[in-house]
Amino acid sequence: MAADVPPLRDRSPVEGLRRRGLGPLAVFAQSVSGAAPSAAMAATPVIVAASAGDATVVSFLAATLLMLLVAACIGQFTRRMAAPGGLYTLTAKGLPPGAAFACAVGLVVGYGLLAGGALAGAGQYLAEFAAMLGLRLGGPGTAAVVVVVAAGAAVLVRRGVRLSARVVLLVESAAIGLMVAVFALLLVNGPAPGPPADVPPPTVGGIAAGVVPAIAAFIGFEVATVLGAEARRPFRSVPRAVGATAALAGVLYLFAAQTQVFGFATTPGGLAAQQDPVLTLAVARGWVWVPLVLDVALVASFLACALASLTALSRVLFSLAKDGVAPAALGRAHPRHHTPHVALVAIVPVVVVLAGAVAAGVPIGHLLVVLITMATCGFLVSYVLVCAAAPLFLRRIGELTAGAVGAAAVTAPVLLVALVAFVVVSPLPSALLGALAVLGLAWYGWVRWARPAELAGIGVYDETLSTDVLGGPR
Amino acid sequence: MTAPLSGRQPKAVRSALAVLEEVVAAGPGVTAKEISAALRLPPATTYRLLNLLVADEYLVRLPDLKGFALGRRAARLALPAAPAVPTAARAVVEHLRAQVRWGVHLASFTTGQVVMIDPDPDHPPTAAPVLARFPQASALGRLLLAEQPDWRALVRELRALTPHTVSTRAEVEAALREVESAGWARQLGELHADRGCLAVPIRAPGDGRLVAGLALAGPVARVAEPNGALLDLMREHAERLAPLLA
Repeated sequence: MAADVPPLRDRSPVEGLRRRGLGPLAVFAQSVSGAAPSAAMAATPVIVAASAGDATVVSFLAATLLMLLVAACIGQFTRRMAAPGGLYTLTAKGLPPGAAFACAVGLVVGYGLLAGGALAGAGQYLAEFAAMLGLRLGGPGTAAVVVVVAAGAAVLVRRGVRLSARVVLLVESAAIGLMVAVFALLLVNGPAPGPPADVPPPTVGGIAAGVVPAIAAFIGFEVATVLGAEARRPFRSVPRAVGATAALAGVLYLFAAQTQVFGFATTPGGLAAQQDPVLTLAVARGWVWVPLVLDVALVASFLACALASLTALSRVLFSLAKDGVAPAALGRAHPRHHTPHVALVAIVPVVVVLAGAVAAGVPIGHLLVVLITMATCGFLVSYVLVCAAAPLFLRRIGELTAGAVGAAAVTAPVLLVALVAFVVVSPLPSALLGALAVLGLAWYGWVRWARPAELAGIGVYDETLSTDVLGGPR
Repeated sequence: MTAPLSGRQPKAVRSALAVLEEVVAAGPGVTAKEISAALRLPPATTYRLLNLLVADEYLVRLPDLKGFALGRRAARLALPAAPAVPTAARAVVEHLRAQVRWGVHLASFTTGQVVMIDPDPDHPPTAAPVLARFPQASALGRLLLAEQPDWRALVRELRALTPHTVSTRAEVEAALREVESAGWARQLGELHADRGCLAVPIRAPGDGRLVAGLALAGPVARVAEPNGALLDLMREHAERLAPLLA
């Protein structure tokens, strides 16, 4: 039995990061911030209601169950291995290198644009906050705010995941707390008096179409996967963080959706007819302080999301460089802070384009929507691939179970349909996505031509070292 | 998040221990399928138990992700075995005993605990379980704690064994700082009200790693004195012991 034992390394192939130091709470906080549930609580229900109407809650329930299954698929990997490359490294263990590379492109697009979206969101609500205090920033002023926020976030992430995790935990829990308080007050007060509104009854097709934007509310919930090498007990804390984030975000969304549908039960057209539902509900009750509180909560949530997605983006690029398919400089770690600080430059083009567009007068709210839509497409590509990879990975290591096959059989096709629906309904982001896909293909072509061996071996992770094994050298 | 252990899953506990035993018996590289077949456990149960044991670091997955081996943490399951004392080292300790009228004890730290490897037969030291459980109260234990990045990892309980025992975090930290700056340790009536102890470290000649400690035990009033000459004598013997014990 147990004939040949593979040789163990003395040093991790992803050396440079601070190995096994991060507590479970910090890992969980990063994932929650990646999903940014407080921002989505305010913004997403009205989008879902446009197709699902009174059954908005059902759409959110379906999306939550789906994302819990995705978390289960990811958990098949993260209970067994720890990788700073996140989903693409996991995909590489079950699917061929080309698929892992596609997943990596999806992740880079996803985290890069999610960071951009979060910066846009922070800029938008900071500008609104300033306007409430009587200070009109205008295009160039808002662009300056975005640049300053981006620089601050990069400094924090460079200083180390421990510090940024602490900031993120504080900021995100404050944001969620404020949101839940506002929504609870709205729910307790009930709808405006009057006869029930005449809302067309929801159809099955409408509910299904509503699931697609509801999925978008979850993106970023898997951020904890990139902290595998840095977490103290990664095989426990990472799968738990991803699963618990999906569950927490789901519960918050169901609560937010129910509050808003109920709040507009007597308004003609219902929730779907609203522009800014939470503000409308609050103003209808004469609560002028609500916009201010909402603004603070949204800024906080977007800041935390920017930190979490920058953390993830830098680690994915770091891992790609260690794999030899991205410039080696990106794989350099800071000697004292042990963070992939060079890889942070990847956010510069996103910030430049974003700030340029804002300064030129493009409405920042519009940019926010475009960026998040595009990021969602990137994430959906990687979710589809990682879910499909899970049963193949388990079969390869001889630990396949019926449950794992079932989860992948549900998630991969449904996510694929959602991805197609997402691309079809949004023409402008689709054109931009096409351009990004061409860039990704060019990158793939270069790697195939110049680094075929590295591409074939893609997927470095934080392996068990000789010092981890009983009887190994001390 | 975790429910308190009810102790009502005897089967799961038994199976987990059987899995650990099977990994030891089959040797590193054994796969989940092989373990499941050998123990006649359902595959899904085996995978779940393996993942739990890997999460807790009693087991590790080898780089092929298929094979398992014992993790470093599994060492905690075995009774720490102290190294045997070479005859030459016993002779050095005897030499010191002949020169002083105190109890002279030699303890090893290589297991991460205070383990007496040559206690003085004429002046028996404090019982081994007490020394192992309250390292903060003994001079030898303080040598070991002062060497740790975080002393709390080795201290189970702060208890006042006598009115003089250090029994708060701040007191322990102050005592350890003293050990660090002086290079030797002392306790006055903290294990038994009328006895005290001096201890000097024995370090490996190559890398300076702490391997053992040499202690002198006597009446509190005598231990409290400056004892400069006595400490020199102890250091001299510790230096002779270092190459024999490292």
